[in-house]
Amino acid sequence: MSQPTAPDSDTFIDYGALRALVVDDSPGMRNALRLTLSNFGITKIQMVANAAEAIFQIKNRSYDFILCDFNLGVGRDGQQLLEELRHGNLIALETVFMMVTAESYYEKVVATAELAPDDYMIKPFSAELLCSRLTGILLRKRAFRDVYWHFQAHDLEASIAACDALIHNKPKYAVDALRFKGELLVALGRFEEAEALYQQVVSMRAIPWARLGLARSLHLQKKNEEAEEELRDVLERAPEMVAAYDLLSDVCLEKKDVAAAQEALEKGVAISAKTVRRQQKLGEVAYGNGDLDTARTAFDNVLEKGRHSIFVTPADFGNLCRVQLEQGDLEAVADTLKKNKSTLQANPEGQLVMAVTQSIAHTRTGNLSEAAKALDAVASLRADGTRGDAQLMLDLAGACMANGRNEEADAVVAEVARNAHDSEALLAKAKRLYDEAGRTDAGANVLASATGDVRKLNNEGVVLAQRGDYKTAVEKLLTACNEAPYNPRILMNAVWVILKYIDQGGMDEAMIETARTQLREAERQAPGHPRLAGLRLQMKDVETRFGIQRKAAR
Amino acid sequence: MKFDGTDFYAALIHELKNNLGVLSMTLERIPLLGEAEHDASVDSARLLCQNVVDRLHQALLIYKAANQLIHPVLDAYSPHDLVQEIAASAKALAHGRLHVETAIAGDTPVLWFFDRDLVEMALVNAIHNALAHARSTIRIEAEMEADCLALRVRDDSPGYPEHILESVADGRSYAATGTGLGLQFARLIAQSHDNRGRLGELRLGNDPGAVFSLLLP
Repeated sequence: MSQPTAPDSDTFIDYGALRALVVDDSPGMRNALRLTLSNFGITKIQMVANAAEAIFQIKNRSYDFILCDFNLGVGRDGQQLLEELRHGNLIALETVFMMVTAESYYEKVVATAELAPDDYMIKPFSAELLCSRLTGILLRKRAFRDVYWHFQAHDLEASIAACDALIHNKPKYAVDALRFKGELLVALGRFEEAEALYQQVVSMRAIPWARLGLARSLHLQKKNEEAEEELRDVLERAPEMVAAYDLLSDVCLEKKDVAAAQEALEKGVAISAKTVRRQQKLGEVAYGNGDLDTARTAFDNVLEKGRHSIFVTPADFGNLCRVQLEQGDLEAVADTLKKNKSTLQANPEGQLVMAVTQSIAHTRTGNLSEAAKALDAVASLRADGTRGDAQLMLDLAGACMANGRNEEADAVVAEVARNAHDSEALLAKAKRLYDEAGRTDAGANVLASATGDVRKLNNEGVVLAQRGDYKTAVEKLLTACNEAPYNPRILMNAVWVILKYIDQGGMDEAMIETARTQLREAERQAPGHPRLAGLRLQMKDVETRFGIQRKAAR
Repeated sequence: MKFDGTDFYAALIHELKNNLGVLSMTLERIPLLGEAEHDASVDSARLLCQNVVDRLHQALLIYKAANQLIHPVLDAYSPHDLVQEIAASAKALAHGRLHVETAIAGDTPVLWFFDRDLVEMALVNAIHNALAHARSTIRIEAEMEADCLALRVRDDSPGYPEHILESVADGRSYAATGTGLGLQFARLIAQSHDNRGRLGELRLGNDPGAVFSLLLP
């Protein structure tokens, strides 16, 4: 493993060696783009017509430059392709991804988004313009080589140091380096430093991404009033900046101002309706607010606009059906299931959503024998280890009780409660189920014993750890993990205690492997949780000190 | 099914832009033969096509800005790169018919904050004017002027006519003066750049050829 060295004054780019992928659904444009690229010496060009072909090619060999039209006809669009590539780590940071669009409006929507291309070209454009843009990006990526290399080797500290070197030595890339460094600081949970960095950029000039970064680092420090003030001011000046609405809704949710959160998301959706995750969030928030019409439209949009998006999961079908059921629109439920039958039947999670929904619908119409059949199907899926999201599982518990299957219902509720022992909203919903079924006392027992066991084990573990008895603490928390294998709080505590234990007592290979597995599960259950970055860092630190260096691929 | 006019126009414009793109690239591929008549026609066809492209861009942006102000999306860009980029476009459009020069003053900062696409659109428009009127040379310049980044397009034409200079200096509206749409647009772009209350400016002058200056705070 050798350190990369960056030739300093090297501004030569060997276009003949560059491997390019052109993605465009129109054969005429594909051909024209190929000729444009060959104008400045790019000859290794692969051309494809859609996202699926692009992904196939990219999985087969790496490309230095991807030129992709935003509008790809039927199927995924260019932005969905980019999201899938970045999300699945299919392209390296060194790869240049440029979006071609007929709309200068695209820029406004995407410029400050999380998943932005390296640049975009508004068509039609000249070969000269494309060439000079591409050259600029390639040179910048060359300057960022160390930054990317350390980042991809998971060494964020070294990546920050490389950013600092750029900030001091390459004024041309100083602002870009500050931007990257800000994201690293946030990923490491160093929110105060991130705040100071964004403040520094804003004092140079109030550029949108810096103000958004500032608001985000304030929000992550729970300084929500300040964050909201910043965001409202940003939006007054640039009302079309959709990413600011997303963040504003998070801030409002944390302030428990659910109406304002919904309003922010609705404004974001009005500007850009295509983003699946924004629609999902709007649906959830509106559902929580009891605004079923808005929730239904949003969940409808998730399935409609996200037909080709990787961010759509079986839970989204369940969410739409839940709203339709609550509206008493059984015809719509049947229609949703019928239209998406093949998608849902493709995996056990989808089959579970379908069976749970059918059991509720049949219960409503009084067709109890069909309802029982659906619940039997659910039981056999669950026996094979299939799980749904907590909302779906509570729906299931309700259906079980309505069909006199109280024991099954209690088991399902207990599982949900163990895995979310600290989620007030879910526990309240579970309690309501029992109230409605006239089983208030039974419910109180189920919930108290399910959360009590987990809470007790967790608390004992934490107290033992604080006293320095890491060995017993690990035992307690691993027992808690067995009881509640999907509870992010418990998982994160277990990882924390295991790392302390190793730190004190020396390396234990089996233990660190357990910690790794649990950290991965916690990341799956609570993506973006503020504690995760810190734990990942501690894990890395322990691995480094005990000589387990992850091999970094160059 | 209900017929949605807006969607129809959006699709139509999308289609037109695609066709225009292919046309523009097709024209780029017609070789120059060294025959004055042939080469001149190819040249003017290319220029005209590029003009239509740029006008379409402007028209769409103005259409969008009709009910609201232009909101520039600022970021840090290199004025040096921008000047080279504009010069490359100008050279391609000039096809050797005119000489394209660049001049970047020593005090030009490494980075400046502006909306690259908007500024580029304004400058390319000035390039089109210069290509139509210059005798032999177009010069693209960057320097600092009164704490602003000044981006200029300078040519050796007889200069702007008096009524255009006046209308831009007065800041009167497009409809009132009949000033070129492009200049009007450039002024909007300049003014949309705001740094702590200080607004950007479009300045036109003759020295003795036409000098188009965009001042960005």
